[in-house]
Amino acid sequence: MSAATMGPARNRVDGRLKVTGAAKYAVEFEVPNCAHGWTVESNIAKGKITAIDAKAAQAVPGVLAVLTHLNMPKFKEAPKKEERGISSGIRNEERFPLSDDGVHYAGQYVALVIAETIEQARHAASLVKISYAPEEPLLTMEAAVKKAEKPKTNHDENVQIKKGDAAAALKDASLVKIEQTYITPTETHNPIEMSGTIAHWEDDKKLTLYDATQFVKGVQNVLARSLGLDLENVRIICPFVGGAFGCKGAVWMHILLAAMGAKVAGVPVKLHVSRRNMFVGTGHRTPTRQTLSLAATRDGKLQAIQHVSETLTSPVGQFTESCGSRSTGLMYESPSIRIEETVYPVNVSTPTFMRAPGECPGTYALESAMDELAYALKMDPVALRLANHADNHPTKNIPFSAKHLKEAYQLGAEKFGWSKRNPEPRSMRDGDLLVGWGMATATYPAHKMSAAAKVILRANNTATVQCATHDLGTGAYTAFTQISSEQLGVPFENVTFELGKSDFPFGPVAGGSNSTGTVGTAIHEAAVLMHKALAELAVKDPKSPLSNLKVEDIAMVAEGRIGSVADQTKSDSYADILKRAGRDSIEVQSEQKPPEQSKTLAFQSWGAHFCEVKIDPLLPRVQVTRVVSVMNCGRIVSAKTARSQIMGGVTMGIGMALLEETSYDPATGLPVIRNLADYHVPTNLDVPEIDVSFVGEPDFAFNPIGARGMGEIGITGMAAAVANAVYHATGKRVRDLPITPDKLI
Amino acid sequence: MNPFVYSRANDAAGAVTAIAAKPHTKFLGGGTNLIDLMKMGVETPAQLVDITRLPLAQVEELPGGKGVRIGALARNSDVAEHAIIRQRYPLLSQALLAGASPQLRNMATVGGNLMQRTRCYYFYDPAFPQCNKRNPGSGCGALKGYNRIHAILGQSDQCIATNPSDMNVALTALEAIVRVQGPKGEREIPIADFHRLPGSTPNVDTNLKEDELITAVDLPANSFATRSHYLKVRDRASYAFAIVSVAAAIEIDAGKKITAVRIALGGVAHKPWRAQKAEQQLVGKTADEKTFRAAAEAELAAAKGYAHNSFKIELAKRSIVRALTTVAGMTS
Ligand SMILES: Cc1cc2nc3c(=O)[nH]c(=O)nc-3n(C[C@H](O)[C@H](O)[C@H](O)COP(=O)(O)OP(=O)(O)OC[C@H]3O[C@@H](n4cnc5c(N)ncnc54)[C@H](O)[C@@H]3O)c2cc1C
Ligand code: SF4
Repeated sequence: MSAATMGPARNRVDGRLKVTGAAKYAVEFEVPNCAHGWTVESNIAKGKITAIDAKAAQAVPGVLAVLTHLNMPKFKEAPKKEERGISSGIRNEERFPLSDDGVHYAGQYVALVIAETIEQARHAASLVKISYAPEEPLLTMEAAVKKAEKPKTNHDENVQIKKGDAAAALKDASLVKIEQTYITPTETHNPIEMSGTIAHWEDDKKLTLYDATQFVKGVQNVLARSLGLDLENVRIICPFVGGAFGCKGAVWMHILLAAMGAKVAGVPVKLHVSRRNMFVGTGHRTPTRQTLSLAATRDGKLQAIQHVSETLTSPVGQFTESCGSRSTGLMYESPSIRIEETVYPVNVSTPTFMRAPGECPGTYALESAMDELAYALKMDPVALRLANHADNHPTKNIPFSAKHLKEAYQLGAEKFGWSKRNPEPRSMRDGDLLVGWGMATATYPAHKMSAAAKVILRANNTATVQCATHDLGTGAYTAFTQISSEQLGVPFENVTFELGKSDFPFGPVAGGSNSTGTVGTAIHEAAVLMHKALAELAVKDPKSPLSNLKVEDIAMVAEGRIGSVADQTKSDSYADILKRAGRDSIEVQSEQKPPEQSKTLAFQSWGAHFCEVKIDPLLPRVQVTRVVSVMNCGRIVSAKTARSQIMGGVTMGIGMALLEETSYDPATGLPVIRNLADYHVPTNLDVPEIDVSFVGEPDFAFNPIGARGMGEIGITGMAAAVANAVYHATGKRVRDLPITPDKLI
Repeated sequence: MNPFVYSRANDAAGAVTAIAAKPHTKFLGGGTNLIDLMKMGVETPAQLVDITRLPLAQVEELPGGKGVRIGALARNSDVAEHAIIRQRYPLLSQALLAGASPQLRNMATVGGNLMQRTRCYYFYDPAFPQCNKRNPGSGCGALKGYNRIHAILGQSDQCIATNPSDMNVALTALEAIVRVQGPKGEREIPIADFHRLPGSTPNVDTNLKEDELITAVDLPANSFATRSHYLKVRDRASYAFAIVSVAAAIEIDAGKKITAVRIALGGVAHKPWRAQKAEQQLVGKTADEKTFRAAAEAELAAAKGYAHNSFKIELAKRSIVRALTTVAGMTS
């Protein structure tokens, strides 16, 4: 990849702060007189609260308030979901906390205790006695069949898709067909930093929240509306996030509870979500059941792809996981494509987006099915994918921009040594161990949202750039510092990028892998404004080599200099322009405008994973021993952090394939897996060296940065690559994740 | 967490006096299990007696070549790395190192490890209404619930929990003796009698009395040092409890005849499971895979699985075969 495509490999600008512990996360802020909250959760999945006895809790020394639906002040009703855009904040659960006696899922907050110390709050919470009138909960798809819904759209995208006549092709006896059902379990995000909020009312109209969030502006907006406050009087602060993966995108109930709790108690309140409650209170990836039907000619040309996906949501939930439309809807060329999505509301806590929502489980099913088809056709899995490569978006019928998937397959196969693969299952060995090689395609859309940035440029050649965006631990601080440096023409070391404050210009939710592209575009726009502002000063200054030139004819010509576009000899430095104008600094801010969505090009990132597993046939635990991932995401702004993002996605994909599952008790509907000892994420020993590379070119048709973003693509397809390798190693096709040893015995 | 009184004992006698003086008192070792359970409200002691300062952390030779004594307060990592243990009881060292994480092993004590409680989800989280171990008479939530990690041997219809320890499995194969001190003096409990099967009193994990302190574990001398192995099967490569584990030790003569064998299983029962049936079958036979499989079949003949854990029956058989094949293949 050329330098134009691959940005420099910078160390993280916040690296030192993090390793020395100086980086402050939300609940680490010290607010004087801060009290502590502890929640009480419902242990039944459905029913009504009939009585609450909080006397013993109230009597605990230090207790300041016990809030239940009986004494909780009312929140202001928000406008209907349809009337709000995503930029006004996300609420995956529309019901306000403690708003009535209804219980909709086990783990729902039913009381909040506020006390001077966390120990007092926790102890008092254990003494709150709640009586219920339980009702029969719906806990499975089967039980909720009558309530099933088929949503037409998800985030304005069509999710029930019909192109051509898939049913007819699937009946055509001359075609090779497979039809299989794939199951993925509930997965829980489990970032290392748990969610948490400190709510501090400066007076009864002014609120500051320190909140672990992927969306400071969203939290600000929802809180202002729900509490009836002016937007500018609600401040959200979140300079660092210790991982999120989607679970900090929405305004979950604990944030509203902390804010209202602090108001009632009359002191600042810190409410830290326990690890246990991260399994019920901040979302999870819904379990999915997906049935894939494929029909292809004998030479491997797909004639029909049908993807029927079924997922869960909660009775108060607002989120749907679109597995089919976001994978099968755009992956392969086929004359007929049929996608159906059904959502079942069950009495289980509310799901939410989790790294590549839709695409991740969707590509697992689709890419597993493609592997099965390759075997049915006796065709190489890479060759099958090449034979069905889509130059155009298969259901929108417009070309993809800067798509380099074929190169990704080729480079990946080369690096991995794919040509040495004997396709016969159980044919490859390492001593007594079975060896399996599998591959899969990765894909994730390039989302565009809106943002604005403020730039302060100083005569001493330093700059500060601000946007209310986020660094989830991804390296955004570093990437945005790099983009700012390049776009402004100020040395990297001289740029300070600030984020994580609602006081800054608008930044969108850090989700959908949109931040780099969206905020990068805002920085670009602000830089253009800055160069214009400097030009305006210069043309008016008789001492400037640019005096009397037209502002439109001036642009950045070198680091720290603007000059005439036509005449290279005429230029002036930022520092001189400012000094002569008697200014210490100059400030500009770009405008937040709705992004232009192209109707002629489709923007999508692509990639290919190749992976090797080794399995002891007697004691069959799957060990992933090699991974090669090649990605095509437009321009790679920051080489190091980009590689880390793919490594993180692959690691999480290995977890999804082999380990992660939040199981529930069939009787109570409570999760039985509720801590990190039982919820298995990959350890170092589970993850091999991951070989990451990038192909392609900057996608300038997408945005002026040329970057499509890459936080999520790494996990897509990965579980299928592992599952396909497991089949190759063992001859056994496991179609329900995770592939734990019991499924291979 | 319930409010509690914290105190510290300086010697064994003081610890025993302290526990006898006040009801609902518990000893605090590394705290890696007890504190978690207190936070969850499963354990609600009124007093904690911190015993980590007791002078009981050494590993020392017993006189007359009778074996080795490990102090009850020795940390798991110190025991695992101790030269004597690594040379003469590598099985114990391996089992300890297979458990938990380095951080936890640095905290965990031998006494605490012996006493650690089951990881049954229904026991661990009082949000579940049923658990006979936590709340006698309330029923067993796991029986018809999610029971993937549960027992296949020796369980009762009152409780199907497993003992989660790796160390205990090795100690069982090594026929360790647990030394305890109570108000009436000292006594010895053979490891086989230390942990209990659930029967109708699953709330009682061990035969240690509430006012007794574990002071040490004695490892008798044996000749298994060169042919022993701890095999742990788990869902991920590291840092996970065993789904099944096997501590195996063997002696074979020049003609490949088995002269002595010890097998203990972990992850399958309410106590570390000494595979006596298998052992009986093996002695005097030729050490080969067929013999091992037959012995494993005999041991697991009485096994019973539930909705999510039946796979453990076959897995346990295979693990026995693998562990025995490994020890038989070792050069002595
Ligand atoms: C995340 C996690 C993973 C783990 N993984 C594993 C694993 O893979 N394998 C494994 O074997 N274990 C594992 N463990 C369990 C760990 O080994 C135990 O928690 C540890 O051994 C307990 O020792 P402790 O000293 O901390 O005990 P404590 O928590 O201090 O005490 C436990 C119990 O023992 C009692 N006690 C302590 N010392 C004495 C004494 N001298 N006399 C009488 N009673 C006493 C206490 O009163 C208490 O009831 C894991 C634990 C965690 C938290
Ligand atoms: S198996 Fe034992 S510990 Fe688990 S719920 Fe049943 S009684 Fe309780």
